[in-house]
Amino acid sequence: MTTYLDVRRLHGDALEAETADVALAMDEDAFRAFYDRTSRALWGYLSRTSGDRQVADDLLQECYYRLLKSTVPFESEAHRRNYLYRIATNLVRDTRRGTRPLFAEGVEVADLEAPQAHADAAERADVRRAMGRLKPRERALLWLAYAQGSSHSEIADVLGLKTGSIKLLLFRARRKLAALLAPQVNS
Amino acid sequence: MTTPRVQPTDADIEAIVADAIAREAACAGSEAQPPSSAIVWWRAQMRARQEATRLAEKPITIVHALSIAAGVGLMLSVIGYVVAGMKGSWGWLSKIAETATSAFPSVPTLSLTSPWVAVTLTAMLVSALIGSIAAFVILSDE
Repeated sequence: MTTYLDVRRLHGDALEAETADVALAMDEDAFRAFYDRTSRALWGYLSRTSGDRQVADDLLQECYYRLLKSTVPFESEAHRRNYLYRIATNLVRDTRRGTRPLFAEGVEVADLEAPQAHADAAERADVRRAMGRLKPRERALLWLAYAQGSSHSEIADVLGLKTGSIKLLLFRARRKLAALLAPQVNS
Repeated sequence: MTTPRVQPTDADIEAIVADAIAREAACAGSEAQPPSSAIVWWRAQMRARQEATRLAEKPITIVHALSIAAGVGLMLSVIGYVVAGMKGSWGWLSKIAETATSAFPSVPTLSLTSPWVAVTLTAMLVSALIGSIAAFVILSDE
């Protein structure tokens, strides 16, 4: 039977939890170093797979929080990073929105002074539009392979796929993007 | 005469795609303005503390609910006991009802000894008790 003293003890535990440091998967120094190494690239992954910078801003903190709360014993930095990207992939999948402004908008050229600036901006806008027409999984595959330089097994780990299927999926995604970038490919 | 169109090889396609994505990645890298690691760490700490507090308070809420349920059960048993004890003395209530009916003939007769009236009165009493206990719990939480 629960006594008055038990209730007081539980109240005490609650107050203690409010004031004491809570146990997270990493200590502060290790986390901050890891964050500084990975946050920009992760933001890029979030923004380009979701197609929305606002979503990337919103999900970035959530990704690191979930990583900190995880109880997975990480064997290496790469393992931890892959786990972080898997969290990001799942969050993006859960946050599907109708509009993807990043893929619809052009690229600003105001700050670019090089003569090639306008051509580059137009090319980049084409790439974004083409990426916007890919499936989210295809975008993630290509981004992990060519922006992150991840291996097939790492990509499989992040996306929850079989390693053996990555080669074929990448091949198809490449073909699809190339077809969408047809003028560039032909030239 | 038209020149035959040369199909790009897989290697060509891979090079073009890799180049396009690498450039987009560089662009994303320059766009990225993530919050500082100190802020992210602080927010994570705050959130983890709040969650820990919520988890620690959950058993207290259960204890409150059990206490209220036990109190209500006790009250009901007391009321049942009192009602059972009063069963033999319903006569005075009948007299009051008869007096009221004779004094105000236009008022419809209300049988105070009816079991429905007893149930209604008991329900009202129990509601008042539960309401006061709930008010006490809410105010004590605040």
